[in-house]
Amino acid sequence: MITRRGALATSLLAGLPGLSAAQSAQVVVGTWGGDYGDLLAGNIDKPLLAPRGTEVIQDVGPQDPRKTKLIAERSARRGSMDVCCLSDVDMFSMAQQGVFEPIDEARVPNLAKAIPSLKRPYSIPHIYSAKVILYNPAKVTAAPQSYADLWDPKYRGKVGLVDILHLQNMETAAIVAGGDHHDYEPGKRKLMELRSLDVKVYPSNEALAAALKSEEVWLSLMWLARGFMWKKSGIPVEAAVPSEGATSICFEMAVPKNARNREGGLGYLNAALDAKAQGAFADRMGYAPTVTDATLPPDLARQISLTPEQQAKLRTPDYEYIARNQVALIDFWNKEFKR
Amino acid sequence: MAALVLPAALLVLVLLVAPMAMLFRISLNQYSPTELMIEALSPENYLRAIADPYYQDVLATTMGVALSCTLIALLLGFPAAYWLARMESRWKSLAVILTLFPLLVGNVVRAAGWMALLGRDGAINAGLMGLGLIAEPLTLLYTRGAVILGIVAVVAPYMILTLASVIEAIPRQVEEAAANLGAGPLTGFRRVVLPLALPGVAAGSVLVFILCMNAYATPVLLGGPQFKMMAPAVYDQFVKGTNWPFGAALAFVLLVVTLTLTIAGSALLARRSRRG
Repeated sequence: MITRRGALATSLLAGLPGLSAAQSAQVVVGTWGGDYGDLLAGNIDKPLLAPRGTEVIQDVGPQDPRKTKLIAERSARRGSMDVCCLSDVDMFSMAQQGVFEPIDEARVPNLAKAIPSLKRPYSIPHIYSAKVILYNPAKVTAAPQSYADLWDPKYRGKVGLVDILHLQNMETAAIVAGGDHHDYEPGKRKLMELRSLDVKVYPSNEALAAALKSEEVWLSLMWLARGFMWKKSGIPVEAAVPSEGATSICFEMAVPKNARNREGGLGYLNAALDAKAQGAFADRMGYAPTVTDATLPPDLARQISLTPEQQAKLRTPDYEYIARNQVALIDFWNKEFKR
Repeated sequence: MAALVLPAALLVLVLLVAPMAMLFRISLNQYSPTELMIEALSPENYLRAIADPYYQDVLATTMGVALSCTLIALLLGFPAAYWLARMESRWKSLAVILTLFPLLVGNVVRAAGWMALLGRDGAINAGLMGLGLIAEPLTLLYTRGAVILGIVAVVAPYMILTLASVIEAIPRQVEEAAANLGAGPLTGFRRVVLPLALPGVAAGSVLVFILCMNAYATPVLLGGPQFKMMAPAVYDQFVKGTNWPFGAALAFVLLVVTLTLTIAGSALLARRSRRG
């Protein structure tokens, strides 16, 4: 017999899965704002996930506070993000703290098409680029060939570096000093040399862009993708891939272990590897696709990707070395180089 | 009656004392690149914060900037506060609102304004170059001067309003009596107004000094990457270096130094005001 109370209980119970389904349809993505956030929304959230009933909420902010949030929430049962976007170096150091769910390729099928050298056990590669030399072709008439050209005394006071890229700057100095990306020690002396050549240090990429535009500096170390974007916006720069081999930068995505919606997070990672979505990031931001099935217009491909020879020389940062030495390296950068 | 304090006291206990206690506990831990921190009870972070010449320098810069800003705000603020306090026109409330007006704009937005003025391509350089007074743009941004200018602009309203409320309470007749007895305006100010306004000077200076010691946005945005004050250094340790124990220790060093200087400064002024 169906009593009123029984019916009520049944309908309540029946309602519960509906309720949890509604919750699981929401994915919170911790990401950068600006172009990146807009492109995520326009090419992944709306066309790929919304039709499946997944509502994406962006938790927009800079990378460093996002890392701090991950650490602060580490011991919490439920975290605030389902997907976390970080650059490769930070993704590795956070993965070492054990905050991410291991990536199961069966649950992220698009990962099968990703460039193998960019795959990590704790994250998916989303977009990537390479560290190159940007120069002002009107002032630097012969295109730089090597990172060492930044140390040429004729460019005294005309080389600008970005503060937040301190690890990348130190790696370059180590390579110029004859070392490699597995040990930055030799680079310290070389950086102090650059300092005595009146190198300028800018607080952000945007500040460097302004300095390149006003021709306050003529040469810098920057991502090829940024060079592409800046050139498009009228800043007088060309990119030169150094003969020593460029170093890659990959922006990655991972799912925290304590995500409220782990399945949704993994689904998001899969959508991010969609070839069409990747093409949009290439077109607007100049970052190369991380999947092999994304095809770019030839002119765009020429501007944002490396030649096969350059690609063969592409270095991956030594994440392990950086994670172990990061604190000491930042100390050197702040206390000695910038002083 | 004591019950009236209870809600506020509870709020302070929960929102201030508890996190501070946690932070203090963290400051005694050890940093680990793989596990964030290892439980310990070690004074190591404090010893490093005190002994490292780099952080001594950062602390000295912070104290120097905070003292300069407090002094400048006091020198600029006193005449303005006096004028405001003695104002009798119906525009007085408007003048008070105008004094408060800068506080309606956030520090970051304000710093962005200074950047537009002081930058290499900023309004000042463009103006000077347009007039033919300089050939190369001057370096105005990313200097100590830019930071001091920016902070003074932030703290001046606090100084002016604190001073004005104290000056307002000084009876005008006292000044008139001094003038009657032959004191010129300068003597009247030095012997009568200033001693009576000292409690205001103390309160305003303490308030402003604490704000300056903890300034974050202005030094980061106007000082540039080579200029370091304590609050940005603490932030860097937590967020960029993920070294929470050392960041916590630096935060406590900043707290203790600010507290000590504040107490010493107020005690000094209190003694003078009693003597005066």
